[in-house]
Amino acid sequence: MYSWRKIREKLFICIIILLSLLAIAPIIHLVIVVSINGIAIFVKAGTSFFTGLPPTPLSEEIGGIAPSIIGTLLMTMISLSITITLAVFAAILTTEFPKNSISVAIDAIAKSLASIPTIAVSMIVYTLVVVPMKGFSALAGSVALTIIALPYAYTYFSMVLRSVPAIYREAAFSVAMSRWSAVIRVLIPIARKGIAVGVLMTMARIMGETAALLFTAGRFRNKVSFSPTEPADAIPLLIFDYILSPYDIWHQVAWGATALLLLAYIAIFFAVKLIVKEVKL
Amino acid sequence: MIMTRKDKLFFISLLPLSSSLLAILILSIATIALKSLDSLQIFGFNLLTSSIWNPEKGIYGLLAPLIGSVITSILAVFTALVLSLPLSIIIVEYLRGIVKNIVSSIVELMGGMPTIIYAVWASQYLVPFLKEFLMEPLHNTFKYIPLFSCRPITGFSIFATGLSIGISIIPYVTTIILEAYQSIPLAYREACYGIGATRYESIKIMLSLARPAIIAALILGFARSLGETTIAAVTVGNSMYLSSCLFAPGYTVSALIASQFANAYLYPYAESVLYASILFVVLISVALSFYGSSIIIRWRSKIVV
Repeated sequence: MYSWRKIREKLFICIIILLSLLAIAPIIHLVIVVSINGIAIFVKAGTSFFTGLPPTPLSEEIGGIAPSIIGTLLMTMISLSITITLAVFAAILTTEFPKNSISVAIDAIAKSLASIPTIAVSMIVYTLVVVPMKGFSALAGSVALTIIALPYAYTYFSMVLRSVPAIYREAAFSVAMSRWSAVIRVLIPIARKGIAVGVLMTMARIMGETAALLFTAGRFRNKVSFSPTEPADAIPLLIFDYILSPYDIWHQVAWGATALLLLAYIAIFFAVKLIVKEVKL
Repeated sequence: MIMTRKDKLFFISLLPLSSSLLAILILSIATIALKSLDSLQIFGFNLLTSSIWNPEKGIYGLLAPLIGSVITSILAVFTALVLSLPLSIIIVEYLRGIVKNIVSSIVELMGGMPTIIYAVWASQYLVPFLKEFLMEPLHNTFKYIPLFSCRPITGFSIFATGLSIGISIIPYVTTIILEAYQSIPLAYREACYGIGATRYESIKIMLSLARPAIIAALILGFARSLGETTIAAVTVGNSMYLSSCLFAPGYTVSALIASQFANAYLYPYAESVLYASILFVVLISVALSFYGSSIIIRWRSKIVV
């Protein structure tokens, strides 16, 4: 005879499994749907999807999203290099001198910066960069992306540096290394894989950011532009504009671009998984 | 800590780059505050008590988007709680080996996903689905409750936005709950089994131990959904009309900015009003983030002896 306690146990497991499946169902559905729709567009448009210009609302051809791809690459590169430099220096400072009041302040500042909504960053950069420069530019977009990624990268790098066991630092000091060379020659080489993961994750974050670019990059997609001071476009911006538009052809382009973004993200995700796995071995 | 001269030099050489974080924060807050000053002086409390958006006449009220932001975030947090809690329990308590790896990888994959991808998916698939299988049945059965009183016409509504954002913050909330749950010392669990508790009973006890951390996860999730832009802008339906019904289109602060800011320079004060609206959101979300993370820190120092 089953007691109430045993029945309750089974009931509980059933409900938990059901709700968990419900929690991960969206992501699975999302990946499948985006892939199916995206691949259909890739096949239809061919390689011109990566080299052509976006279509006009009434055109028959799908065209391509070259300006957005180049814009995303350009802004990601600029902002990634600035972000990583600043974040690594800040992380070294706070891990080397954790009790110092400046380090405590930097921690708190990073936390508050991280909680500022991305659209607010876009408005701030609009006032501080776009208006003085008299126009939208890839540079303004990169600044906005840097502000968003900086606290994120900083938090990650300081976590990585703090996780290096203290014995390595002690060993470095015992052979009379200075603090500087201990960091450069011992700490960072040991944490290099963690740092690589951090760089990749920051890159994924920058690449997919939409709201920060709304009022900074300029949504300029009539021609491919490599100049950082000229208006640019990004893949997320193109998706955002086109999915809100009423035209079917633009919806199709948006699906293709979404699939491309998802593909890039998943590639980064697997690269991260691969590196992390090696760390464990 | 003793600092040698070399160490001091090292410390000072790190300062300029590191303090850029401080400069960015000060500049950001000063910009928003200065820009919103104009509209706060002119409109004062009217900004908070009316919901009109008429740039031609220069009349503005932010009540509808502010309430919209709060309600969508509450819905989002509720959705995330209902789905994240079971997910965290199942990952810690029931799954082992490769299945556990796969499920936690999926949660990680969800967590870093660009929100624009969620936005596209939500607007094309989730909203129609919710309209047909959740909004219409709720409307038909509970017409007399004001929350469900209006017929969902397009499906794009406060309700849809709340649920879409909720789904996108599941991984965030799950990760915080998971970390908290796993940091409860083993001794508590052993004690539970020691007095003959079943799994369900021991989970109940563990959850009650982790309650402050779970509440903190919800507060942090709320702060994050307040600022969510892309998903809100795509699913909320953009309407300034303030309605008691969840199925009516509405506005959130970020959706309002996304659709109005680009043309705001054409009208006097429109830009400043939008800065004021984001000022409220920034203040709330920074305050909540600090409150949330301080709860976790305090809880951890108490439970992990």
